[in-house]
Amino acid sequence: MKASIQFKWCLLVALCFTVLFYGTRIKAAEQPPIPVGILGPFTGSLAFNAEEMKKGMMLAVDEINAKGGLWGRKIELIFGDTEAKPDKGVAAVKKLITRDKVLVVGGGYASSVNIATSEVCQNEKTPIVVAIAISPTITSRGFDYVFRTSPNSPQFLAGVNDWLERMKKPKTVAFLMENTDYGRDGEKIWSALSKKIGAQELAHLYFEIGDTDFTTQISKLKELKPEVTFNIASTTEAALIQKQAKELNFVTQWIGVGGQFTEAYFKMAGTTCQYAMGSSLEPTLAMKNPVVAEFVKRYEVKYQKARPGIFSSQGYDNIMVIMDAIKRAGKPTGDLQVDRDRIRDTLRKTSIELTQGKIEFDKTGQVYTVVPSPVQVQLVDGKPQLFIIYPPGRAGAPYQAPLPWDKR
Amino acid sequence: MESLFLQQVLNGLIVGSVYSLIAIGLTMIFGVMRISNFAHGDFSMLGAYFAIYFVVLLSGWAGWVGSLVVAAVGVGLIGFFVERFLFRPLLTRWTDIDIIMLSIGLFILLENGARLFFGAAPKMIPDPFQSKTVNLLLFSTSEIRLICLLFSCIAIFLLQLFLTKTKTGVAIRATSQNRNAAALMGINISYIYSLTFVVGSALAGLGGVLYGTIFAVFPMMGAMPTLKAFAVTILGGMGNIRGAIFGGFILGVAETLGGNYVSMQYKNAIGFVIIILVLLIIPQGLFGGVEKK
Repeated sequence: MKASIQFKWCLLVALCFTVLFYGTRIKAAEQPPIPVGILGPFTGSLAFNAEEMKKGMMLAVDEINAKGGLWGRKIELIFGDTEAKPDKGVAAVKKLITRDKVLVVGGGYASSVNIATSEVCQNEKTPIVVAIAISPTITSRGFDYVFRTSPNSPQFLAGVNDWLERMKKPKTVAFLMENTDYGRDGEKIWSALSKKIGAQELAHLYFEIGDTDFTTQISKLKELKPEVTFNIASTTEAALIQKQAKELNFVTQWIGVGGQFTEAYFKMAGTTCQYAMGSSLEPTLAMKNPVVAEFVKRYEVKYQKARPGIFSSQGYDNIMVIMDAIKRAGKPTGDLQVDRDRIRDTLRKTSIELTQGKIEFDKTGQVYTVVPSPVQVQLVDGKPQLFIIYPPGRAGAPYQAPLPWDKR
Repeated sequence: MESLFLQQVLNGLIVGSVYSLIAIGLTMIFGVMRISNFAHGDFSMLGAYFAIYFVVLLSGWAGWVGSLVVAAVGVGLIGFFVERFLFRPLLTRWTDIDIIMLSIGLFILLENGARLFFGAAPKMIPDPFQSKTVNLLLFSTSEIRLICLLFSCIAIFLLQLFLTKTKTGVAIRATSQNRNAAALMGINISYIYSLTFVVGSALAGLGGVLYGTIFAVFPMMGAMPTLKAFAVTILGGMGNIRGAIFGGFILGVAETLGGNYVSMQYKNAIGFVIIILVLLIIPQGLFGGVEKK
């Protein structure tokens, strides 16, 4: 009996040694991956949009890893969930920087979160490349570790504003927006524009992310009859607003930022989103560009039947910019701070042609070479599709003024 | 101006009817079993997903009505198992706090499970009327919204009938008033618990389908109805069914009118302001809590 226990012990010890021995050997054979942190609201009401971004990112990473990665090391994306809440975002980015020891942080969605997370990165001297978020604040605080591959809100809306000023010239406008930095920054820009073109601002109405009932707001708008209603919302809210506008028989020219035009938006809103406008970088609108066409093709192969939207292409470009900077920074030295600083320096000199257009950063770290166009949803054979409507040189279809519901 | 007021009242009644439907289940379960079920709204979410999958099989009118039945039965069944295997073993052994923690855990589990199984993309239950509008003299709304209002009222009416006219219904009310006395009268308490939980969950499932038809279906959709249902329950009196019915309509109308005339930004806060005021001024709620023991 005693002997058999001893024998079992010996066996166990031997087993442990074998595991340890082989374990270390396996580890030594394979180089550790290069860690890149990605922030995004992977749970919560924006989770769907974050998934789109992630799909684009995984396409980029697979592309690089299939070629053997960089210096024989694979790229590993480590995801941090922000839940679209600034406090959760700060906790997630701190974990990425200190525990996961990432070289650079990418991703990000929702302005309020990115304003907070980018400040953490600045303090921790870790470069961050924000993928999706348009509040100008993010890159306007003189932070030298902060970059952004998405246009900020003035850039995003320049095309639409030009169209409003020269073509539409509305006399009355109203605002219906998310009560966040995203909503309020858009409101600021459009409010300034309204003053410039002499349009009367009839109402400024807000809602919270995750709200589903907008009938109170829409009923009020209907009473005021604005020619143009600025609607700064994400996918779910924007689709519900379109649907409820129909139910309440309210007609206006809706103008959004453009981030709402996702696959889920069209599925939910159906034909009720006809005539809605926004400013977009939808990759499928620029298929003549070979870089974009190639991206769309590979995306459709990887994710069967799915069309890439603006967030997938923004996610893809974000990773490509980060990879490009890591590559140009040279083989990591192992000293985290040296590597992070090197990547920051190479990020500044980025110049790369991607799905959103050319990406180059100005002194503040803001991309200035990506130009969104004003787009409108128009029905083709009863199916909603997006068209660029201005300027005439780039337009795919002429502008259509919204008709009353019973005439559609 | 008058028409805007009436329009907002109607908007409030429609939303309020769904709040009532969901809150009745919550208040019944609280009244009978003393469980504050924070996962109640997620039963609505499950109901809505049952409908999403059912309307794929059967479209149009029949599909929509069928999905109401499927959601009520499906969620009722889930409610049965949850009560039997999660809550019942704890009811006698653990404290109230443990049961609240269990329901919060269940809420997190259901939400994240739903994201895993159904995906995070928001969906809509197809409206058999295709958002067709009804324009009346003073206001407009869609046919489906009116149908939803009607449906909630019918469900509420039938439930009232069941609770007041049938023997089982009376037994439920008796248990709610005094558990021990009811047991002494020969009422099978564990059967009543089970039945209450099933009926309450089924109502939440029904509410979820209505909510998902006029709004949207997504894994997180349960959180707001849960909070609103708690506001309604506290407003009407914890455990008081009539309180939940009127409380739902009152909250719906208070929200739309408050949003319109006070501040759109604080529309959602109105429910919680109501909770605080009611707790401070009339802690037993507008209609009193569970009737005297």
